[in-house]
Amino acid sequence: MTDTIIEVRNLTREYQMGAELVRALRGVDMSIYRNEYVAIMGPSGSGKSTLMNMIGCLDTPTEGEYWLNGLEVSTMGDDALARVRNREIGFVFQTFNLLPRASALHNVELPLIYAGVSGRTRREHASGALSRVGLSDRVDHRPNELSGGQRQRVAIARALVNEPSILLADEPTGNLDSTTSEEIMTVFEELHAQGQTIIMVTHEADIAAHAHRVITLRDGRVHSDTKKAA
Amino acid sequence: MPIFEGLKLAFREIASHKLRSFFTLLGIIVSVGFLVAVVAIIQGMNAYVRENVAGAIVGKNAFQIRRTPISVGFIDDEEWRELQRRPPIESADAQFVTRAIPDAQAIALQSGWPTPQADVRWGNRTVADVLVFGVTAPFQVVQDYEMEAGEALSEVDVRERRPVVILGFDVAEKLFDNFNTAIGQRVRVAGTMVTVKGITKAKGTVLGQSWDGFAMLPLPVFEAIYGRRLTTVISVKMTEAFMVAGAMERAEEAMRIAHGLRPNDENDFTIDTAEGLISFWEQLTRVIFTVVPAVVVIGVVVGGIVIMNIMLMSVTERTREIGIRKSVGAQQRDIQRQFLAEAVTLATLGGVLGILAGGGLAAMVAVLSPMPARVTPWSVGVALSLGTGVGILFGVVPARRAAKLDPIEAMRAEQ
Repeated sequence: MTDTIIEVRNLTREYQMGAELVRALRGVDMSIYRNEYVAIMGPSGSGKSTLMNMIGCLDTPTEGEYWLNGLEVSTMGDDALARVRNREIGFVFQTFNLLPRASALHNVELPLIYAGVSGRTRREHASGALSRVGLSDRVDHRPNELSGGQRQRVAIARALVNEPSILLADEPTGNLDSTTSEEIMTVFEELHAQGQTIIMVTHEADIAAHAHRVITLRDGRVHSDTKKAA
Repeated sequence: MPIFEGLKLAFREIASHKLRSFFTLLGIIVSVGFLVAVVAIIQGMNAYVRENVAGAIVGKNAFQIRRTPISVGFIDDEEWRELQRRPPIESADAQFVTRAIPDAQAIALQSGWPTPQADVRWGNRTVADVLVFGVTAPFQVVQDYEMEAGEALSEVDVRERRPVVILGFDVAEKLFDNFNTAIGQRVRVAGTMVTVKGITKAKGTVLGQSWDGFAMLPLPVFEAIYGRRLTTVISVKMTEAFMVAGAMERAEEAMRIAHGLRPNDENDFTIDTAEGLISFWEQLTRVIFTVVPAVVVIGVVVGGIVIMNIMLMSVTERTREIGIRKSVGAQQRDIQRQFLAEAVTLATLGGVLGILAGGGLAAMVAVLSPMPARVTPWSVGVALSLGTGVGILFGVVPARRAAKLDPIEAMRAEQ
């Protein structure tokens, strides 16, 4: 259980916004281990979105190192990052980010297409992922024919379909009512129980409470890092 | 992402914007359709000229000895003056030729261009603007005329300058109610009284123009009315096509002797077959063939720019989709391939629709006019490669733009 998945050293990210230099991350150090369930919290402007993009390999740091599953991601180019995202990371977004004109099944298939998986295997894996989140009867529905909770489940299925090292959720309940939020949290709980590493960015304390470890950011630095007693 | 996935996506995208895709492609459809239709119509006309017109004017297995070539289309002033200095073709020349080609089926003299038009009058009936030819008797063999009523012109009619006329079917039909009583009637052709000796069978129409609206006089009678003309033509008809080339060589020899030319002198006459007429026609159509592609290329380029515009718009519209695809692992080349495949599919579809439209237009022309239209494989090939080429050429810019989008920015875009 001490298998390191994420190793971050002195992670720094600066943006040039017009004349102003915004220092979103000012040297973050942390390690996350296999099968952890981590919530990253912090007020807006604390740099949690930037950290999340960094961990998700959507962005590269100005300075510092980021090792994901033994790969040094911080020095990778665009296409290498895309491959890492494809294999190692499953995203769940606040706004679901599903393709509106594609069926649930096709949305879930998407990562497999870019992984080069052939048609039939793709459909098998995708429908398997959908049944894992309890949506095997909604395979052919389009996002606009699904409720918010169902959409987020499709997004979770999409995130899981490639069996990623980490499930990365950015405010996964931000657009959902509290009942549905609880449902989604139950799904996360189950996935975690099955061995999935989960990192969740949120500003809601009651959602963060579901996690087993809470990292709080403030002004681009780690402010606190507390583990819940199991 | 394999190419096949890209094409599938492209078809789905195009199918979900049918009307927009159609309007996007209008430029390509019209240009390609125009290309296919024009080529089909011209090719059809070429075949038509080869098969019908040329044979009808010169005669089958026949050639002409003329003062000036049939294809007078593209000559400069200098050449024109040169042609004007040539001596006319005379009946003495015909005798030389006759001696040189004893195996000819028929050798005839005929009045040449421009063919005069005159009124033909019988009693109180008049047919206006009838083409009047002056010919020797063998001309009727050269042109394969058959008689509907009465008899053909004879050698004696020509030698004795008999005032007789052979009427074309259309003229006779308008003048007389009964062809049998028409023979022997006296009619006026351009004011001169002549006796109807025969009426030819109908030859039909070519390019909407009747071949049966003429009055044929013995050459001396014609010359008595219109004077001797500079443009008299000798027609030689052989029994078989393979004999034509040899006969033309002997005719050239005979004409050089007849005109007293020395070995280094240029010919002061022209020997032409229907090929001459066909090549003149093809010279004409070649001009069209050089203009049409230019017009088509302009149209296709404009069409390509429209496609590029729509694709750029589509990239903007689908920024978020691109972001989502990138977030789940699409690499630059995956996105580039997807948008390129879409542009190429779109443009190729335009090419195909253009071919259908052009083919339809050509078929309509073929049905509504006497001209046949033939859609040629090469024009279809050019049309298709134009479409695909334009898709690639104008698809690259939007595809690159899509591929280079930053996934974080892209996912933040409005949907």
